[in-house]
Amino acid sequence: MSTAATPVRFARELREICGVGHVIEDPATLEQARILGVTPAIAVEPASVEEVAAVLLFANENGLSVVPAGGFTQQQTGNTPNTIDVLLYTKRLTDVEHYDPGDLTIGIGAGCTVAQLLSKVAADGLLFAGDAPIPERATVGGLLATGMTGPLRHGYGGLRDYCIGIKFVTGDGRKGKGGGRVVKNVAGFDLMKLLIGSQGTLAIITGASFKLFPAPRQTRTFVAGFATAAEAIQYRDAVLRSPLSPMCLELVSPQAGALLPGGGRSGKVWSLYLRAAGSDAVLARYRSELGTAIALEIDGHNEYGVWRAIEDFSNILPERYPSSVLISLSLPLANVLPVPNELESVAVSNQLAYAAIGTVGVGRLLAGLWPAGEQANLGAAVSAFCKQLPRDASASILHCPEEMRRQSSAWAKTPTHSDSMKAVKHALDAKDILNRGRFLF
Amino acid sequence: MNLPGVLDDLRKIVGRDAVLDRPEDLMLYEYDAGIRKSTPGAVVFPTNTQQVSDIMRLASANHIPVVGRGAGTGLSGGSISQAGGLVIAFSRMNRILEVDVENARAVVQPGVVNLQLSEHVSHLGLYFAPDPSSQKACTIGGNVAENSGGPHTLLHGVTVNHVTGVEVVLPSGEIVQFGGKAAESYGYDLTGFFVGSEGTVGITTAITVKLLPKAEQVATLLGVFESVDDAARTVSAITAVGITPAALEMLDGWTLRTIEAFCHAGFPLDAGAVLLIELEGLREAVEEQAVAVNEVCMRQKAREVRRAKTEDERALLWKGRKMAFAALGRVSPSYYTQDGVVPRSQIPGVLQHIGDVGKKYDLIIGNVFHAGDGNLHPLILFDMRNAEQYERVLAASRDILQYCIDVGGSITGEHGVGMEKRDMMRQLFTDEELGVMISLRNAFNGDEVLNPEKMLPMPRMCREIMGASQNAVLAREGM
Repeated sequence: MSTAATPVRFARELREICGVGHVIEDPATLEQARILGVTPAIAVEPASVEEVAAVLLFANENGLSVVPAGGFTQQQTGNTPNTIDVLLYTKRLTDVEHYDPGDLTIGIGAGCTVAQLLSKVAADGLLFAGDAPIPERATVGGLLATGMTGPLRHGYGGLRDYCIGIKFVTGDGRKGKGGGRVVKNVAGFDLMKLLIGSQGTLAIITGASFKLFPAPRQTRTFVAGFATAAEAIQYRDAVLRSPLSPMCLELVSPQAGALLPGGGRSGKVWSLYLRAAGSDAVLARYRSELGTAIALEIDGHNEYGVWRAIEDFSNILPERYPSSVLISLSLPLANVLPVPNELESVAVSNQLAYAAIGTVGVGRLLAGLWPAGEQANLGAAVSAFCKQLPRDASASILHCPEEMRRQSSAWAKTPTHSDSMKAVKHALDAKDILNRGRFLF
Repeated sequence: MNLPGVLDDLRKIVGRDAVLDRPEDLMLYEYDAGIRKSTPGAVVFPTNTQQVSDIMRLASANHIPVVGRGAGTGLSGGSISQAGGLVIAFSRMNRILEVDVENARAVVQPGVVNLQLSEHVSHLGLYFAPDPSSQKACTIGGNVAENSGGPHTLLHGVTVNHVTGVEVVLPSGEIVQFGGKAAESYGYDLTGFFVGSEGTVGITTAITVKLLPKAEQVATLLGVFESVDDAARTVSAITAVGITPAALEMLDGWTLRTIEAFCHAGFPLDAGAVLLIELEGLREAVEEQAVAVNEVCMRQKAREVRRAKTEDERALLWKGRKMAFAALGRVSPSYYTQDGVVPRSQIPGVLQHIGDVGKKYDLIIGNVFHAGDGNLHPLILFDMRNAEQYERVLAASRDILQYCIDVGGSITGEHGVGMEKRDMMRQLFTDEELGVMISLRNAFNGDEVLNPEKMLPMPRMCREIMGASQNAVLAREGM
């Protein structure tokens, strides 16, 4: 593990780039910023794209590893970094590049928090659909790098659907750009897609432009309860086949429901939480289409609280069960059906408890496992569970005990050709400066 | 390059009837729907992925440039072979390989015609959302290469939003998979990167696309305005009241009259401009939105707002929109279509500018475009035989695109950069930014066997402009 017990030999050069007050060398402060047990040797806070590029060029010349950091909400994802020679905070990159509510677009610095962005556009009756966990700390850059959006993905798509431009500095120190500030644009490679979910391994994102949406004027959440997961998923299929187009459609297992506000309310049932937007007439139509499966309707402050908890679930579960494993899955729609049974099966065989929650209308599911007996075997359970995943599925372990993280990869599965991904990595970060050791290879 | 020397090898791969090399045959493949021409050295018609792989392996070994071609309906020269290379035509790879209703996906070969897929799954209540105006002819492989749009992309997004996986043949001949049937996958989103790469990264041989359920209710409105300016201001007024139509198209008076004479779509002959507005979704929501859109249009000085009462009336209005380019063929020997994009709020200004450009260069310019997302299609009429006029057309076109860039827009919204706008990429991107894109292209297509001299400016040109680069990485990329 790296420590910063002695002054770092390259501190002076970094101070020249970022300014004296924006290079952190204090061991106690750096210790606070450790990632999966690894303490950064030094941290920098560049204030501009030029400063980010200068830091990365310097790191290239000197073979230093660099880890980008936003609000530290997702740094537990990915593999343990080999070393962190330089931790690069994006917190000073917060400029608004463009914003015209009439265009329904905004361009903003990567260091802006998601909550700040939401608040800015909400003042004009608009919605940013990237509902990150812990939005008060999560930054726009971190959101893009991890692709970690929440339940709004059902109704508004993923970041790849509404990020319209991106600015970044490649691992080898070049300033790059994809897209722009208009909602339709095919000039050049679509580098937004390439960088979203790239886990900070290709480039440091410095800013991005997004399509915004009109904020709904009225919403209501309908909760349907089912005795089994299979029944809940069949109901999902019925909703997907219906004329309804909900904002959110979330499967919640009994154990996951217990962690939501008013958790006892759902009892031992599997639930589907469906959030609809529209006039009284539109909501009445939802009520009529959804029928007798609806056990509960939520609106107002309670509704807000429930969805905030669902957004934050990837944080809530590990806080409640620190020794848990949390696996994030992306599946073809039909492959969601067997997952709850498989999860239960590996949980029972390995003396574990489990919870599942996810945006199942687009094939997303978070699966949590944690010890429930003296012979609990998390490693065996995760391994058995991932082996059963179908061909087109992908999986990543968002959270697990540090010892397990050191022993197994956080990236359980992806259908995409590995050598092509390596070729892309080499093209933008040939010296493997960025997030070294944390991603797939 | 030794294309004649490998013709026999190509025939061994695909059969004797699947290679064309006689000049009279090649003439059919020297153009697309734009204005550029270049005759290929040969055209080959594979029927399966392995054949594409074998062709690529042969071409790479012999440094023969390769261009994929669907139906040749593109407008930017993307499927035209420069320098006498090899065209791989996908007209024999036109099978729908799988319709997976449970997963709402289809897997298709690249030569499947866009509209045929929607027709094929229509009985299931499903359709493929991207709907370029050429959808009766254009292929899904071409849509993927150019990241094509269409009128209904305002609500549903362009091709990339509807492709979740691609099987790709790399220049080496290796067959690889990016993504699959899941909406997203961990790892780099090479599917998203591949779509819109204009045939410069690899050649797709199987495409996994989303199938959407048809909307319960569709309302098609025609807003009739006295002036282009009133119609233009209405576009952002509609989104300002919180409504995102499925489509929001604008036709100016000159264009709608030309169309009306061609196909009698029902456009009012004395209007200054019309907006074709389509709303879709839940019945109750669509009805509320139709009332609200009507009110917005009337507030913005619409003369009237008509609503299609029957499916036939709706189809006729759309026929008028989608036949616009064909209608212009009746009144002019040639036309040049541009594809610039501006922020929605800039539409009134850019239309004024296009009017000024027409006067400045003494050209007739019609406007029919995707107003909802600011994607312009100024149609500049000319006669290809008049060289002086042709030069004026090119200058006018550059002038319009420069305006788009100056107000924060782009040079292409859905047709791609291709050959004709390649040099204007320098107005949008710095040399360093282009260098990043070139290194990504080179990661897959370092010898530029695939679609050379398209989309990204040539490194040699960069060197001429920049001089010797101080940046080691730029220097490595020949910049």
